[in-house]
Amino acid sequence: MSVSAAIPESPPADLRYRRRVSVVDSARELWQAREFVLALFERQLRARYKQAFLGFAWAIIPPLIFMVVLTAFVQKAVKIPTGGIPYPLFSYVALVPWNFFSSSVTSGATSIVTSLDVMNKMYVPREVFPISTILSNAVDALISLVGLVILFVFYSWAPRGTSVWVPLLLLVQMAMTLGITFMFSSLVVYLRDLRYAMSIIIQIGLFATPILYGIDRIPHALRLPYSLLNPLAPVIDGYRRTVILGQDPSWGLLLPAAGMSFIYLVLGFRIFKRLETGFSDIA
Amino acid sequence: MRRGELVVDRVWKRFRADRRRTLLRDELERLRARRRGEQRGWTWALRDISFSAGPGDSVGIVGRNGSGKTTLLRLLAGVMYPYAGKIELSGKLGTLINMSAGLHPDLTGQENIFIQGSLIGLKRKEIARRFDEIVEFAELEDAIRRQVKFYSSGMQLRLGFSTAAFLDPDVLLVDEVLAAGDAAFQQKCLARTTEKIKSGTTFIFVSHDLQSVEGMCRQGIWLRDGIVAAAGPVRHAVGAYRDWVERFEANYRDRLRKSGEARIVKMAVTGPEGNGIRSEEPIEIRTVVESPDQRQGTLYLGISEGPSRPIFVVHSELALQNGHTEARCEIPNLPLPRGRFYVWVGLFDKSGRDLLPWQPATEFDVTGPDLHPTPQGIVRLSPIQMSTAWEVDHP
Repeated sequence: MSVSAAIPESPPADLRYRRRVSVVDSARELWQAREFVLALFERQLRARYKQAFLGFAWAIIPPLIFMVVLTAFVQKAVKIPTGGIPYPLFSYVALVPWNFFSSSVTSGATSIVTSLDVMNKMYVPREVFPISTILSNAVDALISLVGLVILFVFYSWAPRGTSVWVPLLLLVQMAMTLGITFMFSSLVVYLRDLRYAMSIIIQIGLFATPILYGIDRIPHALRLPYSLLNPLAPVIDGYRRTVILGQDPSWGLLLPAAGMSFIYLVLGFRIFKRLETGFSDIA
Repeated sequence: MRRGELVVDRVWKRFRADRRRTLLRDELERLRARRRGEQRGWTWALRDISFSAGPGDSVGIVGRNGSGKTTLLRLLAGVMYPYAGKIELSGKLGTLINMSAGLHPDLTGQENIFIQGSLIGLKRKEIARRFDEIVEFAELEDAIRRQVKFYSSGMQLRLGFSTAAFLDPDVLLVDEVLAAGDAAFQQKCLARTTEKIKSGTTFIFVSHDLQSVEGMCRQGIWLRDGIVAAAGPVRHAVGAYRDWVERFEANYRDRLRKSGEARIVKMAVTGPEGNGIRSEEPIEIRTVVESPDQRQGTLYLGISEGPSRPIFVVHSELALQNGHTEARCEIPNLPLPRGRFYVWVGLFDKSGRDLLPWQPATEFDVTGPDLHPTPQGIVRLSPIQMSTAWEVDHP
């Protein structure tokens, strides 16, 4: 060990630290951290469902109440054409995936900020925090499907065979959710007030996505740009078509939207990886 | 690279001076400043740091608060990234940063152990094999199944150290553990660490407790304002740090004049009959305080080695007169070895408010036998029980 005599004002440019991020390495690290993801996931669930019965009820009640409100007021005031589907069914099948998306993004966005302390103790791949949050929200979504079952029984409606497309729709939705959550969770570290802006964006999103109304309310010529801007639109429309109506997803809109979701995912991941080197500097 | 090898090569790290300001408004302000061509707001936390260590090495990093010790440790732990330079580290990494241990406060002690193990790449079976050992060492017993946030700070510390040290790390990074925790556990940690170093673990220890560093490490690095000011054998590096602190503290008397409601007029340490100060002989500490009015206070005197916390503190009630008050404190049997020591002084009123803030006021040299050097693994904290005799009058 030796002491260098003269230290320049700033490091020579060629010494700059460059972090190389590879998707393969990130995936490997994430796999190694799977126990941590699961433990966080389990912890979040346990915190939410401490009182077993009411806890589970809380996953179903909000979308149900919202659906009832929509049916009782909105549907009464403006007759929204549903193509013969009972409105509760029409809206609920869209509300469940939308709630999954919006709650994932909202709680995922603060997942890094609230875990900065944990991150400073030992190296953990940072993706762990948004991902475990999304997982626990997925459980909520699954539970709220119980409401859908009730509605099916009530209206003696059965899910159609075209429901086989649901996993594909879910895949597109997951890509979009992950991308947006990665993006916001890392940005919020540097711009804490962004989370307030985000809740507004999410609220607007509720109306900018065909949840209360069908995608057929959008003029034909605008549907493609609309779907590109909001890839969730054809996805949510897709759930409705496949599960309730027995139609195929509208491929002409879904495929471009799927491409767009993938772009969101890549973009979100890249922003996340770019910004994560500074997470600990701020804590 | 061999397992347990660590190379730090010309590492630089900078922070924003206002790094806690993270609102959109702040970001816009920064943008505007940059537009105007102002280059501001960055400070270097570390500059051009290089060192290396290998299996069986033990490196102590010392320095004042804010000298970059913890930043360096975080860079080594991989939770922070350097601005320039590179850090290479091979093998499994055990870290104990921030004292509060357990990776996640919401998880139980058991979950924390398994997760930390899995994160550093151990298989479940391998962790299970060490689990009992960890729990036993940490003296946690049934508490291991409770959430870490309900642990006392002592329990957290014990869990943290045991987890870091028993998951067989190739490199062990530890931050200030020995500052907390009870003496018996500290000794256990020391023994365990020494054992790990002997069996080939690379040990990096960050602390401003110089005694601990000297007791546990063979090599030392002294960081001063983010640069390596001295590096080498621990006694050399820590010694250089001590010397510097003494020189730095030499101008403390100027600061003393302006402080508090009361002020020190004179402070002197003398041996018997004006002779030099020798170990195991009586000394007298004379303090003359000036006060603007009559009041009641408690005078505290402490003796320290270098900048660290005092080795012992004595006190006496003191009735201050308007003007000068002289207090003479006799220590009949000075229990200090050869070396330079500092006298700290502070004057507090009944509510604990300082009339004179606690600070070093003078220094004195003791002649006598050298402190016997202890073998690696024994840390001296010098707890001393003092009997004193006081005299107060108002000349």
